[in-house]
Amino acid sequence: MLALKLAYRNIKGAGLRTWLNVAVLSLAYVLIIWHQGIFTGMLKHGSQAVIEDEIAGGQYWHKNYDPFDPLSYDESHGPIPAELAGLIKDKKATPILIRQAAIYPEGRIQTVLLKGIEPGQTILGIPSAGLDKEEDALPVLIGRRMAKSTSLGIGDYLTIRWRDVQGTFDAVEGKIVEIMNTKVPTMDKGQLWVPLEELQKMTGMKDEATIIVVGQNVQGQGDVSPHQSFWCGDVSDWKFKDQNFLLTDINEMVRSKRISAGILYVILLFLAMLAIFDTQVLSIFKRRKEIGTLIALGMTRRQVISLFTLEGAMHGILAVGVAAIYGIPWIIFYSKRGMKIPQATEEYGFALAGRLYPSYSVGLVLGTVLIVMATVTIVSYLPTRKISKMKPTEALKGKIS
Amino acid sequence: MPLIKVESLVKRYPMGKSQFTALRDINLQFEKGEFCGIIGPSGSGKTTLLNIIGSLDIPSEGSATVLGKKIEVLSHKEAARLRCRHMGFIFQTYNLLPVYTVFENVEFPLLIMKMSEKERKKKVLDALEWLGMTDKIDYRPAQLSGGESQRVAVARAIVKQPELVLADEPTANLDAENSYNILERMVKLNKELKTTFIFATHDEKVIRYLKRKIYLVDGRVAKDEVIH
Repeated sequence: MLALKLAYRNIKGAGLRTWLNVAVLSLAYVLIIWHQGIFTGMLKHGSQAVIEDEIAGGQYWHKNYDPFDPLSYDESHGPIPAELAGLIKDKKATPILIRQAAIYPEGRIQTVLLKGIEPGQTILGIPSAGLDKEEDALPVLIGRRMAKSTSLGIGDYLTIRWRDVQGTFDAVEGKIVEIMNTKVPTMDKGQLWVPLEELQKMTGMKDEATIIVVGQNVQGQGDVSPHQSFWCGDVSDWKFKDQNFLLTDINEMVRSKRISAGILYVILLFLAMLAIFDTQVLSIFKRRKEIGTLIALGMTRRQVISLFTLEGAMHGILAVGVAAIYGIPWIIFYSKRGMKIPQATEEYGFALAGRLYPSYSVGLVLGTVLIVMATVTIVSYLPTRKISKMKPTEALKGKIS
Repeated sequence: MPLIKVESLVKRYPMGKSQFTALRDINLQFEKGEFCGIIGPSGSGKTTLLNIIGSLDIPSEGSATVLGKKIEVLSHKEAARLRCRHMGFIFQTYNLLPVYTVFENVEFPLLIMKMSEKERKKKVLDALEWLGMTDKIDYRPAQLSGGESQRVAVARAIVKQPELVLADEPTANLDAENSYNILERMVKLNKELKTTFIFATHDEKVIRYLKRKIYLVDGRVAKDEVIH
């Protein structure tokens, strides 16, 4: 208590020196929290967008399906198993048939994935209902990225060529009926969405699918009766992939970005440490006569060391207050307004749409405050060890022995 | 039993490869209520002796017993407790804590003693009244003159009413008038509270007030004179 009282008096009396340290430390707090919040937001919003538009509650994959191997697509289809058909009927799952195809926008050939989806499905957040239209050609849904790269617009026609189940080439005219604005590039680039039933007919794969996407509410509530016995397990030729598995890539991407963020974290922490360390070293050099006086007046060396350490640590406490004054409005502003993401960033494959909304948790704020406080206290203590070697008689003369 | 007993005291300091002897075979006793001075030119060892009596340093040989405690065997903590409870220090350069006000400077020894706030306030105001500084309790040391600063330093030394006050050249930086004021107050304190004062000085203004004069020459007691 005594040390606290004296430390408070000392840092109050130190004036500008105190405020300079507090300013540097508070900046470190705010920048670390702000920066970490960006990555948390990136992960949170990216994951949310992917869950809503692509993976929902998880997916059943045909045993031959490998999204990273286009050559596997020819073999990765099979009849929808009876166990899952019930879920599909109850609108708790939706099947998707995936085939390779080629299109000829403006006379140029381009390889695409032809994906058949039920127009009436509500499991994925894409506007598949747009496919439920009577048209003079095969209705096609594409994303805005695909529309941009192929220069296709609503009402445009294009030739689609594919191979059926026998390997025979066939072609049909497609018409763009809707352009969707999905945040998830993997649902958009190089993909044509068509009605499932049409695609099944075109390929001779009646009642077949490549993947079956399960609704989020189904997984969340475990509401799968009467299929409880196979839930979250494999079903004959179908392997269940849960959300964690399907989010592995995005998590890995954020993790790798966090490493670069970590470097900035260390630099900011180092700057804060340097400010405190310098102040402490300078204090001990400048205040050696004062240290001698404190000892002469009856303080023990340990008390003097505690006093100086506490003075340093109190900069950290003051900085929390100062950081709160300008940091909280700043952080709230950015978390509400978001940060505009350059288009180039979108091309990396991150599901972020146009703006990134940083996300801040109590754990992030408290964790950062604790780490900075602990660092400041340790760095404050290190130079004060010199006091224990000081001779009071020398210190009183202003010398360091 | 004497308040302070110094026996065959020797103090040496390392100086390069050899050793410098600052005090040689000092034997002295001080009784409670004495108003005495250790007198000598610069380098005679008077500050060294004062520091040993004040438990800020230890003898190389011999012993110094202060208020029943042998200085040479005290731990840092015990020495700090002895200074905190029983001694007051006055320095040539005042050594006031620069960021504290006059009140806070005088209050400081009482804070270390963990005295209650109410008691602290009363004692600080009493001490400042004694020294005629009540009108400047909110001033900081930088706003005070030399004489005022030393009065605050005296107030800080006597606020806890210690048995012993050690003053190292307390008037060296003061003019005649301020020196006179300070010394008059110290004499008054010595008479009224029976506080023992030991000065290290070569200032004639101080020497005139002393009731016992111990002359040091080259680290030895050359003369120990009691004035009646």
